[in-house]
Amino acid sequence: MILDKVVNWARIKSPWIIHFNSGACNACDIEIVASLTPRYDIERFGIQIKGTPRHADVLICSGPVTMQTRDRLKRIYDQMAEPKFVVAVGTCACSGGVFKDCYCVGGGIDSIIPVNAYIPGCPTRPEAIIDGVVKLLGSLKK
Amino acid sequence: MSNEEKITAALTQKFSFLEGKCNITRARRVWVDVDRNHIIEMLDFAKNELGFNLLCTITGLDVAENLEFIYHIANKEGIVINVRTNAPKSDPVIKTVLGVYQGATYYERELEDLLGAKVDGLPEGRHYPLPEDWPKGQHPLRKDWKRENLTQKIKTEE
Amino acid sequence: MGRVVIPVGPQHPALKEPESFTLYLEGERVAASNVTLGYNHRGIEKACEGNTYIENLYLIERVCGICSHSHSTCYITAVEEIAKVEVPKRGLYIRTLIAELERVHSHLLWLGVAGHEIGFDTLFMYSWRDREVVMDIMAMLTGNRVNYAINKYGGVKRDVTDDQKEQVLKAVETLEERTKYYIDVVYEETTLINRLKDVGRLSNEDAMRLFASGPMARASMIDRDTRRDDPYLAYAEIPFNVITDDHCDVLGRTIVRAKELIESYKIIRYVLKNMPQGEISAKVPRRIQAGEAFARYEAPRGEDVHYVRANGTDKPERVKLRAPTLANLASITNMLDGGYLADVPIVIAAIDPCFSCTDRAISIKHLDSGRENVLDFEGLRKYSIEWYKNQGFDASKLNKKLVL
Repeated sequence: MILDKVVNWARIKSPWIIHFNSGACNACDIEIVASLTPRYDIERFGIQIKGTPRHADVLICSGPVTMQTRDRLKRIYDQMAEPKFVVAVGTCACSGGVFKDCYCVGGGIDSIIPVNAYIPGCPTRPEAIIDGVVKLLGSLKK
Repeated sequence: MSNEEKITAALTQKFSFLEGKCNITRARRVWVDVDRNHIIEMLDFAKNELGFNLLCTITGLDVAENLEFIYHIANKEGIVINVRTNAPKSDPVIKTVLGVYQGATYYERELEDLLGAKVDGLPEGRHYPLPEDWPKGQHPLRKDWKRENLTQKIKTEE
Repeated sequence: MGRVVIPVGPQHPALKEPESFTLYLEGERVAASNVTLGYNHRGIEKACEGNTYIENLYLIERVCGICSHSHSTCYITAVEEIAKVEVPKRGLYIRTLIAELERVHSHLLWLGVAGHEIGFDTLFMYSWRDREVVMDIMAMLTGNRVNYAINKYGGVKRDVTDDQKEQVLKAVETLEERTKYYIDVVYEETTLINRLKDVGRLSNEDAMRLFASGPMARASMIDRDTRRDDPYLAYAEIPFNVITDDHCDVLGRTIVRAKELIESYKIIRYVLKNMPQGEISAKVPRRIQAGEAFARYEAPRGEDVHYVRANGTDKPERVKLRAPTLANLASITNMLDGGYLADVPIVIAAIDPCFSCTDRAISIKHLDSGRENVLDFEGLRKYSIEWYKNQGFDASKLNKKLVL
């Protein structure tokens, strides 16, 4: 039990994040990267962006799911170790956004993998991204 | 004579079939209608003799019973000749322009993928821009193609 | 050791990662490469046919988040040409102002990304921090940091007040000082120069043949810039220089983008000083008369072209757009072949590609041993930084040196 509490505390205090773009226009991606930069500095919350899904706790996804990327998205999700959480950043990731009815687009991220937090915006401001991730971590505490 | 007029004069002088087929709509924009059998020689002349060495893109359209193709070529003075040609849907074949414009590969593949044109002489290669598992015979930019035509629906885990 | 020719054809990697780049290696060098595109294909052109012109304005802005104003303006210029509407001068000047501010933000973004790719993370942090100055200005002028939506048919939605002009001028002054510092770094820091010189070579002939565009082309001595050659918006009246460079490699592309920042600051100052009084938009009918137009625009990454055909209704008949990255991607195999594996990340970054950075998987086939690996981009980036460390390029020293 104590080990669980310690692990949970570590996870909340310093979540490792992997970012995946499943067909977005890049606007949300640059806001996600901007949250790393000195003004927003997401690293002061202990949040680190990692390159591989195997080390990550949280998958941050942007973009609607195009036909070409849906297998990649599923594979990245499967490669993450439990417990894992998914954050959909941007209106496209939440529901497909403006591209919902386009022929190469399936819908939002939750059409492929389960999502824990939805952060709308077109694009989502870095403050909203940080807010969403912190809220997700807060819900983990319970 | 303006530069655009000089260009149309040179084209009609070289190719009698272009007589009456050149139109200047505004500064730096010339529109020309060509039969698909003459397109290569016309583009070759425009590139090598008139300096139109930049192919901006190739637009494909679905117009009634035909497929229309517009080659947008530019020179260094910023003049663009929009070269239009047609092929009937029953025989949607055009020749590749790779011999004249080597960077045209992606633009021609796009015509094949999205409109169902057949570009004669285009080397084998991956689809662009559609995914490899896109069903054959489905050409999204055709006017009669609707998203419901996709038998393989894009949904959750199949 | 002979080179094995591997037929490159359609593949169906059922269980493997769908490859974005396939590299065929001989030892450390890339003998041949192959690129797969289409991951971001969403079907926008088809969607445009089903939307009204007004709805398309919203959609086309989202073709690319980094150059959203470029796509929106290029499209709207084509439609206004068909409708034979003349946009009032002041509207054009405001569009030009936003266009140049977008160029500034995009080039600063690129500078940071390029720094990140070679391990020079301090440059990344500094340039993106400076970029925030531009984002603030954009938010003040247009209401949003990204996807400005300043365009409407016939002109722009918002005017620029005198107070805002002052703030923009102040911001530009700060940015110019910082940019001059970055230019000094690029010209004088020998480690950086050695790292970028002769990497990703693209000769002038190849760049012409393969239709390279934007800073890619200008760094290979092609004197081509749509703002000067085929003027649109207010560019016919604005004096500025087209920056070319003769390095033909990644160093050249860095120099071109850094110097273009200075030119952009010049243009922004001119626009603010000479903005004519008057209306900011003209009336445009909802139904656009039948016709067609072809518009070109110098986006930060290169030439963006839009073709629009109208049919007299309130929905377009056809919208065709070709983003600049597609034009530049034809040259990528040319630039990768013959180079080191460790150079691949920075060469790809030097096109300033408009597809996502994490989407790319690199498949590597060793021609001599027959081995195959799949690396993701982050893995290749780390490999590249380590490899160059062994060659004597230590980005961590650079990180300590760059102090503002």
